[in-house]
Amino acid sequence: MKKVTRCMLHLGCSLMLASWLYPTPLRATENSECFECHSDETLTKESTDNILQTAITESMYVDEEKFEHSIHNINGITCVDCHTDIEELNWDEDIPHKAELQPVSCTECHEESGTEFQNSVHMKIRKKGVTMSCYACHDYHYVKPMEGVQVAERANTKCLKCHNPNLSHDWLPAGDSHFAFVECVVCHAPDVPKYINLRFYDLVTNKFYDGDQILKALGLTSENFMATIDKNGNKIIDSDELEDLLFMLKQQNIHTLLRAELVADIHPIAHQINRGAAQNDCEKCHSGDSPYFNEVSILLPHNDGTVERYTIDRSVLESYHVSHFYLLGGTKIKMLDKIGILILGGGILGAFGHLFLRIVTVRLRNRRKEQ
Amino acid sequence: MNHQKLIYIHPVPVRIWHWINAASFIVLIITGIQIRYAETLEFMTLSSAISIHNYVGFAAIANYFIWFAYYLGTGKIKIYIPDLRNVVAMAIKQAQYYGYGFFVGKPNPHVMTPENKFNALQQQAYLVIMMVLLPAQMISGLFLWKVKGYEEYVMLLGGIKIIDTIHVLIFFFFTSFIFIHCYLATLGHTPLAHFKAMFTGYEEHHD
Repeated sequence: MKKVTRCMLHLGCSLMLASWLYPTPLRATENSECFECHSDETLTKESTDNILQTAITESMYVDEEKFEHSIHNINGITCVDCHTDIEELNWDEDIPHKAELQPVSCTECHEESGTEFQNSVHMKIRKKGVTMSCYACHDYHYVKPMEGVQVAERANTKCLKCHNPNLSHDWLPAGDSHFAFVECVVCHAPDVPKYINLRFYDLVTNKFYDGDQILKALGLTSENFMATIDKNGNKIIDSDELEDLLFMLKQQNIHTLLRAELVADIHPIAHQINRGAAQNDCEKCHSGDSPYFNEVSILLPHNDGTVERYTIDRSVLESYHVSHFYLLGGTKIKMLDKIGILILGGGILGAFGHLFLRIVTVRLRNRRKEQ
Repeated sequence: MNHQKLIYIHPVPVRIWHWINAASFIVLIITGIQIRYAETLEFMTLSSAISIHNYVGFAAIANYFIWFAYYLGTGKIKIYIPDLRNVVAMAIKQAQYYGYGFFVGKPNPHVMTPENKFNALQQQAYLVIMMVLLPAQMISGLFLWKVKGYEEYVMLLGGIKIIDTIHVLIFFFFTSFIFIHCYLATLGHTPLAHFKAMFTGYEEHHD
């Protein structure tokens, strides 16, 4: 018995050594292999609804074109990088991998986002029996590059899926304007880095220009745009340089102004959203020196979802070039205050000047009255 | 000999309109200053200032329509319309009075009657204020109150900053106007005579 045991032990050790020295070459599964089946719109599987416990038919179709424009594909993340329990495909079987795959764990890569999410209200609601997965907000296969996405789409594709902001912002003056120009997480995750995105808006067609149109009109490329526009080379487009840029565009028959939005950076801390922790101190934003406007950029978005970002001086927000974006106290036209002082000063001086003359001439009037 | 006569110049609806308007202007100016200079002033929170400004703004708009309905309904609106045949001459005469005649004790060239309440300068100033500036302030205020709701009109007029510029400049004008208006009201036969008349309705007329 002892001999058999020793023999087995030797065999085991030899096999381990052999597998370590000569590993079986594992072939990485290509996306194209997955799409052989998953590009079929009729591909489904029978499943059970986890709430109603009724039989449902789930689509297994993945839109290849949409997937190609996803941030994961752009960054070279393949199907099996996320579906890690698919080790190899066995084409002899009806289904070449396990029929039931493990749920994808986003936090394997997005570890920091997972940590921030752990401390958020969206995690805490699990105690109430509501489980929110990453996909609830971020979709499965078509996660878009969000940097160039506008507030409306950012909100519509995430928070507004569940929340109706009109039901919970009675205290907020001009709610509609806030919802239109400020991304939800700017206030609801107050520590998230934030910036102002400016885009060229066509006054004739009422549409946004894409970056390629602007570059083509200027005869520039994204590589030499800044070198041409930023004449003093301080890496920031100053007010004068913006004037020149708009003049150059006007010469090309592009009559544009800049439309602004306040958005959050794509940052893990955007997941740390908690009840009662939202920024509701109006003066944080509505003041001339608000840090919310420290980072202002002109965005040139391209059709493929990528964007070019160029830093511009924040004083542009106080100009009529960004004429639709006005925050009380935050981005006001300072020249109006100087004009206001003149108007007020004129009125007060006029009244006091007349009063002074009136006092000086009292005797004159009294004498006339006596006469 | 100085004969004193009481003339009923300011009917009840005009007095009600005037004092509601005055009170709402004061509140609108104070809250307006708080809104514009939120980073340096702290009379109240910005959201309270906006909220009060909005409510009182609507009260002022409703009050404007009381004025408009009264003057249009009674036909008295013509007291605001200058007589183009002599408006320039009368305005020069009135300006001479304010700038010189008043100081040397000359009589006011304008004699106030219910049908001819305003002197030529007042007439022109109030016509512009009531028919242009106040409506412009009300409309720009409405647009600022619901920027998204009136987005089409706001964009048509060149954007929210243009609307804000109109609203702020008229705000400065009205603030300045209140000073001048109150001062000019002291130019009656006694400093408080016009103030008193705006409560009682009767102006004292001296021959």
